[in-house]
Amino acid sequence: MKLSSSKSSLTGIIAALLAVIVFVAGCSQPGSGGSSGGANSGTAEAGAEGSAAPGSGGSAVGFIFVGTKDDYGYNQAAYLGSQAVEKAFPDLKVLRSENVPETAEAERVMEQMIKDGAKIIFPTSYGHLEPALNVAKRHPDVAFYHQGGLKTAANLGTYFGTIWEPVYLAGVTAGKMSKTGKLGYIVSVPIPQVLLNVNAFELGAKSVNPDATTSVVFTGSWCDPGQQANAVNSLLDGGADVISQHQDCSKTIVEAAERRGAMTVGYHADSSALAPKGWLTGSEWNWPDLFVDMVRTAADGGFKGSVYDGKYRGMLKDDVVRLSTFGSAVPDEVKAFVEERKQEIVDGTLHPFAGPVKDQSGQERIAAGQAPTTDELEAMDYLVEGVVGSIPQ
Amino acid sequence: MIADILTGAVRSGTSVMLASQGELISERAGVINLGTEGSMLAGALGGFAVTVWTGNPWLGALAGGGCGLLLSLLHAVLVVGFGANQLATGLAIMFFGIGLTSFFGRDFVSSQIVGFNPVPIPLLSDIPFVGGILFNHDPLTYLSVLLVPAIWYLLFRTRLGIMVRTAGEREDVLFASGLNPRLIRACAVLAGGFLAGLGGAQLSIAYTHSWVENMTAGRGVVAVALVIFASWKPQRAMLGAYLFGAAQALQLTVQQQGWAISPFFLFMFPYLLTLAALLLVERRKLSRTPEALGRVLAGDPGG
Amino acid sequence: MSLNPSPSVAAPAGARSAAAKRLLSWLRQLLVLAIPFALFGLFLLAYGVDPLELYGSMLVSTFGDLYGFGEVLLKATPFVLTGLAAALPAKAGLVNVGGEGQLAVGALFAAWFGVFYLGGLPAWIGIPAMLLAGALGGALWGLAIALLKVKGRLNETITSVLLNYVAVFLVGFFVHGPLKDPESFNWPFSPEIAPTLRLPIFDGTRLHVGFVIAAAIAAIVWFVLARTRLGYRIRVLGSNRLAAERAGMRIGRMYFWVLIAAGAIAGIAGMIEIAGIEGRLRATTGANFGYLGFLAAMMAWNHPLRLLLTAFVLGMISVAGNTLEIGSGLPASAVTILMGLVLFFILGGKRRRG
Repeated sequence: MKLSSSKSSLTGIIAALLAVIVFVAGCSQPGSGGSSGGANSGTAEAGAEGSAAPGSGGSAVGFIFVGTKDDYGYNQAAYLGSQAVEKAFPDLKVLRSENVPETAEAERVMEQMIKDGAKIIFPTSYGHLEPALNVAKRHPDVAFYHQGGLKTAANLGTYFGTIWEPVYLAGVTAGKMSKTGKLGYIVSVPIPQVLLNVNAFELGAKSVNPDATTSVVFTGSWCDPGQQANAVNSLLDGGADVISQHQDCSKTIVEAAERRGAMTVGYHADSSALAPKGWLTGSEWNWPDLFVDMVRTAADGGFKGSVYDGKYRGMLKDDVVRLSTFGSAVPDEVKAFVEERKQEIVDGTLHPFAGPVKDQSGQERIAAGQAPTTDELEAMDYLVEGVVGSIPQ
Repeated sequence: MIADILTGAVRSGTSVMLASQGELISERAGVINLGTEGSMLAGALGGFAVTVWTGNPWLGALAGGGCGLLLSLLHAVLVVGFGANQLATGLAIMFFGIGLTSFFGRDFVSSQIVGFNPVPIPLLSDIPFVGGILFNHDPLTYLSVLLVPAIWYLLFRTRLGIMVRTAGEREDVLFASGLNPRLIRACAVLAGGFLAGLGGAQLSIAYTHSWVENMTAGRGVVAVALVIFASWKPQRAMLGAYLFGAAQALQLTVQQQGWAISPFFLFMFPYLLTLAALLLVERRKLSRTPEALGRVLAGDPGG
Repeated sequence: MSLNPSPSVAAPAGARSAAAKRLLSWLRQLLVLAIPFALFGLFLLAYGVDPLELYGSMLVSTFGDLYGFGEVLLKATPFVLTGLAAALPAKAGLVNVGGEGQLAVGALFAAWFGVFYLGGLPAWIGIPAMLLAGALGGALWGLAIALLKVKGRLNETITSVLLNYVAVFLVGFFVHGPLKDPESFNWPFSPEIAPTLRLPIFDGTRLHVGFVIAAAIAAIVWFVLARTRLGYRIRVLGSNRLAAERAGMRIGRMYFWVLIAAGAIAGIAGMIEIAGIEGRLRATTGANFGYLGFLAAMMAWNHPLRLLLTAFVLGMISVAGNTLEIGSGLPASAVTILMGLVLFFILGGKRRRG
C-alpha cells in the first residue's frame, strides 16, 4: 500500500471535508423532524403562495420513464404520448429522462425538470408515485400526471386506462383459437396490474371455453430477453399453444413464439408485424390524444376541477385503451364474435369481472350479480380459478 | 417434462457455456476476467448490430466475438501491461461495458433480424428423448458443443496449450525457454474475450433475436463462477453451464405446476445452485488451481 | 495508452527534494483524473454536446446553491458507506463486491424493525436501534460471504456477486409478501416508517444527517486502519499474506471479521436510505449503490478519507447524467462511460513497483 506520498494531501482533504461539513451545518437549521410524509392524499391545500393554477405558465413539460423508449412496450407507449405533446405544443420544451428508478432518485430528476422550467410532469411508472407526491407537495404550482397511481394530491392527478377490458377480449380470442385449451402468460412480478390482466385474460378465455387454463410464469424482471425466451419455450413445451405477456419489452416473446409456430397475444403495442403467422391480437395504450388534452388543460390553468384532477381512467369506449388489429390467423367468425363482445363492453352491458368470480382456492371473491369498481380491481391480490401458478401471500 | 428441462438447459446454458470456455482459457493462463459480463454484452450488441446491417448472422457472430475481444483488450492492457488489480479491473470493465452498450445500443432495441434458427439434424433429432435435447438447436449451439473437446485438446495436447498453462503456473519456466509469459497471458485474455463475445452473440442473434440493454443480466458473472466450479476443465465447465441453464428451466417448469412456492425463491435458485456447486467441488480442487490464479484468488493484490 | 508512468516518478527518490516529489505525485494524480474527462469531452463533442458547458453546469449545480450541493451529498452518502464496505476488506487483501446485496439486506432489516418494532419509540432511541438493525442485516449478509470464504474457501469476489442477485430477490420476496403495506392497494412496498424514525433534514434541501454518519464512519475506519494495532495487522495481511502468516496472525479469523464489518457498514447505508430518504422499503431501494460505492473505493485507492472525495465526485457525475439527458437528450448511460474511463486511468496509473 503506497500511502507514503499522500500523508500531507490527506490532511488537506480532511481539512476540506471539515470545512464542507461546517459550512453545510452552518447554513441550515437542525432538521424539521417530521419530514415529508408523502402519502397524505388530497390534504395539502395548494397554493399557500401560489395564485397560479398548477401547470400553467411553464416553458417545459417533463416525462420520466422507468425503462427505455424503444422497448416495444410500456415505455414506448408513453414515449409516443410525449412525442404527440412535443408536436402539439411547439412552445413547450419536452424534457425526458429514461431509466429513472422507482425510488427517491425520481424526486431529484423531477426537481431538476422543475428547475428547467417544467410546470407539468408525467411520472409514468407506478413506482414513481410516492416520489411524485413528495415533489408535488413542495411545488404546488406544478401539475403532476401520474400514470397508474391510486393516490392523488391537490396538484397531482393520476391517469390510466382500463387495459383489462381489451385483455379480456384478447382472452376471448385466445380461448376461441386455442386447440389445447392451455394458454401461457409471461409476467414479471406479482403486482396488482399484472394479476388483473392475467385474471381478465383467463376470464375471457373461460367465457368461451370453460376448460381453458392460463399458466402464468414470473420472470422476476420487466425485460430480460433470455429469460423471456426460456419462458416461451417452457410454456410451449408444457402444452400451451397461445402465449401472452405482461412485460415492458414485448418483442422477444412475440418473435420467439412465432418462430416456434405458436399463437401470440401482444401487450402495450401492436406487434403484429413481428408475427405475421401467429399473431392473434393484443391490448394497446393510446396515450397521444389524452396526453395532449391533459397538457392543454393544465397549461390553460384548468387543472383544478377537470376530469384529470383526481383519478382519471380512460376506457375502451374512450379509445384510451385499444384492442389491437387481428392477425391473419383469426377467422372472420371469431373476429365478429369478439367485436360483439367488445361492443357489449363499450355499451356497458358486459363487465369482464361480473360475478361470480372465484379465486384459485375456489373461494368466491366477487358475488353473483356484482361488478367490482375500478378501484377494487386495481388492488387485485389473487388469481382466479383456472389460472395455474402461485403468488406469494 | 425432464426432457423439456434438459432441452431448456442446453438452450439457456449455451451463452453461459461459451463465455465460461473463454474465461477458462484466460484463467488457465493466470488471469481472471470479471469483465466477461461486459464482453458478453459487447458481443451481444456487436453481433446484433452487424446482423442488422448485413443480414448475415454468421458475420454477426464473428463481429460479436470481435467486440468481446476488443473489450477484453482493455483488460489485457491494464492487467498484463500495467499490472492493475485483476478483480477490480474486471469489474470496471463490466460497468464500462454496460454503459457503452446501453449508449450505443439504443438504436437497435426495436430492430428486427433474421438470426440463427434451430436446425434439426436429420435422423439424430428423431431419436426419442435424446434427439430433442441434443440435436435440435441453432448452429452456434452445435459449434459450442464441438468447441469443448477442441479447447480440451488445445489446452492439454498441444504445445500452445502447454504454453498457456505454463503462463498460469510457472512463468519462470517460460522465461527460461525464451518465451514472453505476458504476451501469452494477453493472448489468452483476448481469446477469452472473443468466446465471451460469441456467447453474447448467441444470446442476441440465435436465442432471443433481440437486443436490449444489459440483456446478459449477470450471465457473464455466473460464467466466471462456473470456471472455478469446473476446476478449470472444459468438459466440467460445459456441465456447469448446462446445470445453470437447467436451474433456470426448472424454476419455470416448477411455476407451472401451481405449487405454493413464492416465485422469488425460485428466482434465487440458479444462483444458490451455483454457490452450492462451488462449495461441493471446493475441497477437491485446490491443488489444481493454476498457481498464478491461486495468488489472485487468495488476495494477492497484483496481477 | 498515454499513461506510461514517466520514469521521473519511479526514479530514485534521493535525488529530489521532498517538495518536488510531492508536486510530481500531485500532478500525476491530477493528470490521471483529467485525461478521462478530456476524452469524454471529445466523445460529447462528437454527439454535439459542449463538454465545457456540461462540466460547467455540473460545477454550478453542485456548488451554486445549497439545494444542489445537498443533492450531491445525498447521492454520495450511500457511496461512501458501500465504498467503505469495499475499501476495508481491500486493505486486508479481499475484493468484496457484496456492498450491493449488503445494502439491500440492511435496508430490509432496517425497514422490518422500523415498521414492526421501533415505531413507538422516541427518535433518540429509535433511530440508533434502526441503525443497528440495518448493520445487523448487512453483517448477516457479510457473514454468508465470510463463512463461504473462511470455511468453504470460496473466493469472496465471486460469492459476493452471486449473493447480490440473491439479496435482490430476497427483498423482492419480502416487499411482495410479509412486509407488504396493507394499505398499498397490494403494490409491493413496505409500510412507511414512523416520522420519529426519519433522520432530521436540513431545511431547503432533501439532505438528511446521514452524510454526517457516513463521514464519521469513514473517519473511524481510517483511524482504525491507520492508527491502531488492529489496522496495522489488517494492512500487513493485505500487503503481504505470507508475512502475516509467518507473524502468526490467524488469517481466517481476520478475513471473517473484516468481511462482517464491511457488511455491517453497507447495511448502515441501507438503513440510511430507508430512514433518510425513502421512508419505506421498495424492491429497488438502493439499486446499484453498492456497485457505485465499489467504484468510489477503487477511485480512492481504498483510502477511507479519499473515499469521501471520490464518492462526492461520483455523486456529481451521477447527478450530471440526468442533467445531460434532460438538457441534451443524450441517455444518462453516457456518464457510465465517463466513470469507466476514470477508473481505467486510475487502475492503469496505479502501477505496481518492484
